[in-house]
Amino acid sequence: MSSYILFRLLKGLVVVLLIAIATFIIMRLMPGDPVYLLLGEGQVQITQEQIDAIHRRWGLDKPYHEQFFIWLGNMFRGDFGDSLVRTGVPVRQMIFEAIPVTAKLNLFALGLALIIAIPLGILSALKRNSLIDYITSVGSVLGIATPNFWLGLMLIVIFAAELRWLPPFGLRSWKGYILPVLVMATEEMAIITRITRGAVLEILPQDYVRTAKAKGLGSRLIIWRHILANALLPIVTVIGFRFAFILSGTIVIETVFALPGIGRLFTDSVMRLDYQVVQSLVVIFALLVVVVNLLTDLLYAVIDPRIRMS
Amino acid sequence: MKGPFHKLIHTPLSRRQFLRYSAATGFTTILASNGLSPLRAQGTQGGTLVLLGHQEVAGLGPNDIAPTVQATVIYNILNPLFIVNHLIELEPILAESYTVSEDGLTYTFNLREGVKFHDGSEMTAEDVKYTFEFYGNADNGSTIANYFLNMASVEVLSPYSLQVNMSAINAAFLTNAGTVPIVPAKYHSEVGEDVFRTSPIGTGAFKLKGWRAAEFTELVAFADHFRGTPKLDGVRLEVVPEPSVRYVALITGEAHSAVWPLLVEDSLSLDGDPNYRVIRTLANSVKHIPINNSLPQLSDKRVRQAMMYALDRQRIIDDLWNGTAEIAHSNLTPKNAYYYNPNLKRYEFNPAEARRLLDEAGWLEGSDGIRSKDGLKLGFTCTTITGDQARRPIAELSQIMLKDVGIDMQLAEAPVASILAGMREGTMDASLFNWTYGSTPEPDPSVSLRSDGGNNFSQYRNPEMDALIDQGLATVNPEERRSIYHKIQEIFVEDVPCLYLQFDQWINVFSSKVGGLPEEVLSPDPVYWLAHQFDLNG
Amino acid sequence: MLANRQQTPAQQSQSSRAWKRFRRNRIALVGLVIIVLLTLVAIFADLLAPYDPINDIFRGMRGGAPTWEHPFGYDHVGRDLLSRVIYGSRIALLVGLSSSAIAVFIGVIIGAVAGYFGGWVDEVLSLITDSLMAFPLIALLIVLAAVLGPSLSTTITVIGATVWARYARVVRAEVMSLRERDFVVAAKALGAFDARIIFKHVIPNVLSSVIVLASLQIGSIIILESALSFLGLGVRPPTPTWGGILADGRAFILRYPHICIFPGLMIVITVLAFNFLGDGLRDALDPHEKDA
Repeated sequence: MSSYILFRLLKGLVVVLLIAIATFIIMRLMPGDPVYLLLGEGQVQITQEQIDAIHRRWGLDKPYHEQFFIWLGNMFRGDFGDSLVRTGVPVRQMIFEAIPVTAKLNLFALGLALIIAIPLGILSALKRNSLIDYITSVGSVLGIATPNFWLGLMLIVIFAAELRWLPPFGLRSWKGYILPVLVMATEEMAIITRITRGAVLEILPQDYVRTAKAKGLGSRLIIWRHILANALLPIVTVIGFRFAFILSGTIVIETVFALPGIGRLFTDSVMRLDYQVVQSLVVIFALLVVVVNLLTDLLYAVIDPRIRMS
Repeated sequence: MKGPFHKLIHTPLSRRQFLRYSAATGFTTILASNGLSPLRAQGTQGGTLVLLGHQEVAGLGPNDIAPTVQATVIYNILNPLFIVNHLIELEPILAESYTVSEDGLTYTFNLREGVKFHDGSEMTAEDVKYTFEFYGNADNGSTIANYFLNMASVEVLSPYSLQVNMSAINAAFLTNAGTVPIVPAKYHSEVGEDVFRTSPIGTGAFKLKGWRAAEFTELVAFADHFRGTPKLDGVRLEVVPEPSVRYVALITGEAHSAVWPLLVEDSLSLDGDPNYRVIRTLANSVKHIPINNSLPQLSDKRVRQAMMYALDRQRIIDDLWNGTAEIAHSNLTPKNAYYYNPNLKRYEFNPAEARRLLDEAGWLEGSDGIRSKDGLKLGFTCTTITGDQARRPIAELSQIMLKDVGIDMQLAEAPVASILAGMREGTMDASLFNWTYGSTPEPDPSVSLRSDGGNNFSQYRNPEMDALIDQGLATVNPEERRSIYHKIQEIFVEDVPCLYLQFDQWINVFSSKVGGLPEEVLSPDPVYWLAHQFDLNG
Repeated sequence: MLANRQQTPAQQSQSSRAWKRFRRNRIALVGLVIIVLLTLVAIFADLLAPYDPINDIFRGMRGGAPTWEHPFGYDHVGRDLLSRVIYGSRIALLVGLSSSAIAVFIGVIIGAVAGYFGGWVDEVLSLITDSLMAFPLIALLIVLAAVLGPSLSTTITVIGATVWARYARVVRAEVMSLRERDFVVAAKALGAFDARIIFKHVIPNVLSSVIVLASLQIGSIIILESALSFLGLGVRPPTPTWGGILADGRAFILRYPHICIFPGLMIVITVLAFNFLGDGLRDALDPHEKDA
């Protein structure tokens, strides 16, 4: 088992390395040069000497492979480097400033979603074709069908502009979290409810559940344990999936609600070709996803003993 | 490695913030019905002026003054010798007076005495000398080194006076170099530029309290400010990219003004509302489509002139800008009355003339309605900034107007960094920008029209223009300068380096709570640099 | 019973039973009807749209509210929104279906092969899948679209080529537990070719989850397209796409909310329809159904 984990970790490192290389190449393929942004958009006269000086300063004059290895070496030492565009600000500081916002958003949203979605999904599967099942199904399908930024803008119109109950943007108080968390939870909830319902429906007709059922009411606990244990597999998969989408998923929401999280830092940095920030973020998130994937697979093994670890 | 003022803050909700916040959440009505207006209470305590910007504040040093939003906070933390103020006058701030020698080669500045930096030290000529020498040198990573063009040396004459010697005339020296914020020599040389721009110390009315580039910049009053203790407790600039959301924040009372304009329609809806003061000014920058003159299909000036005739610019202004703009007839804004040339050739909307010019130039219409010449299609791609929904409709309407005379303008979108590089390097065809081709009061367009200009997005190369630009900068006599810039405008209009569309009315909205605003405003940005005289008692 | 799936008359009656079950599912039928209608609208957009979606710009009607002649109102430039929404269905369906097809094709094959063979094949394929999954999708799309230049074909390819990892992962996980099951073991023992086992026994058994995932996926791909347009990296303007109109209207959401409402609603309806259809298909195809 432990050698399996070690093997998976090694594989994970290879994944991260592949991603690091891919990101590095893709960022360099993107047309443009961050230097121009650094030099400002206003009445600024730029000479080639100035451009060269800035290139030299950030090592952008070095050959690509050299740049890559310098960056990789620094990353291994935990040094993410400094932002190109926001000259002199360490990338680490930018990330630390942004992480709490994104983490809170996602944790609140996922927590809210799980609390509501799992019981709802199981209930609607058990009471199939009941009113509750229909409402849940329609609700979850509606939740999936609604683009989250559209939902966000509609909520801003209703709750901020019309009713004036909630702030339209920013995080000056906990109230600023309500709308974005609601929007994000809606999507999560919709997906998790659907998956849970589907998973439970898969299991219901299976022999052991029927056996357990046949044993009578006293075995209700067993039914629930069976159902929950088996439904967990796809649910865990979905949550694993969602982790990989933390960054993508919050990009849009953070833009709509003007939230200064990782998503906005990322889009801003991509748009400005701030290589250091983009590369660091991608690698950090890749690491996160690799670890979560490993945990997901380990959970698979725990939940479904048919999968053997070799 | 952080400076003393750099702190990441988590302030608990103060009473003032609570009041301000409650204003947005419905408490206002209750309090107001008791005859207790929360915002008035806020005013007597000083209060925090809340401003809204559209993009992040990347840095707070002299290198960062170009973008409007950054200038808003920087000029409240740091002061320059002069500013070009809201009336477009050169107003002395840290300088008390200045003299220029007859030959234009020597500037003498007398400084205000008793001006304190935030760390308590006194501002002297040494600091000015240090600032000029540091930012005048591109090797220090200065991006504003060209402001100090032809500066040869700086001599400190006394603690409160200094002399700048020029190697050649630079007619724009005062408005460029003179408006660079002064940094404390000791602190700056200790911590270096990178740290300084994240934790600046200046002579301004406000000190940096907290700053998160993508989130907010928070300033607190500096009691020892030389123009007196500010009435406000502080200034807070929030980054709100979404124009609609800036509007909502204004109407809910969460913010007092948007530094970067709202949607035209939103601004107009607040015009005439007694709760707001709406300031309209004519822009210095011309809204234009820079077109790559080096492309074979765009290199003939008749093609570019034809495009000017093909564009119904009044329709763009009426349909997309609610009439809040003026058709551009020159590279210079009519606001710069002294240098503006009113007798220029005008391109009235005239598709027939456009077609005639294109025929004459040998571009003939094909079966698909698109013109071509020697197998080359008369087409190009206009790349707008990703997410720039406010301006892109202009490109969409222009596309149809150009198509009508047989020119195929495709549309694309790209991140701003790609466009800035693509246009500067000439790898992109066209884009859509608001940009100055000479401003007010300084009409020099070298950045955008000189062959080597950093913002010469049109890849425009005309030796005659270059010579005139150099001549203009090397001339001190205003009368002589005027005739040079009149000539520059004539060539601009004849050559059509870019498709110049309109000068926008810049609409800035202030809550009527904000007191101390100037009566007359010709230039909006400097209004925000007057926070030392603002209050929230209005 | 699962192991006995073969091309026999029994199979045919099974699929006709599935169709019967599907027909009984009214919601699924509604979904199907909506999709058929949408497809017709997309095909006959030229005939249905009252105005040209690009060139008919009405003077002074920027953001104009809905009227009888223009039931969806005008967009932020002054074009008839109904016509733009009608034409937008073309892009939505095209991107949704084409990208899904690409993704399902790549994902199912890679997932099945990886899960079935295990060992180093699985390791290599999983490495690719994991790398893709660990890559922030939007970031990948942004950069790929920027490098390739935004266009319809870029959008379709880029989405299709990046979202397959989800299918691969789900299919692989299912196949991993399937391959230990009796019927696969039996087929192997009987000396059947791997490819035959994969296509005859393994893929059919994961199809129901692939269909459920695909029904969700078409929807999320349509949403993804709108997100790409939202970021300015989708189909080039002024081509009418729902996502593009939404992005245009987004800037004017408070002033002209109707611009955002209609394409937003169309996306919701379309995605709903595909999900209803997927749900119905899933219930109909589910082999356990007859036991319930």
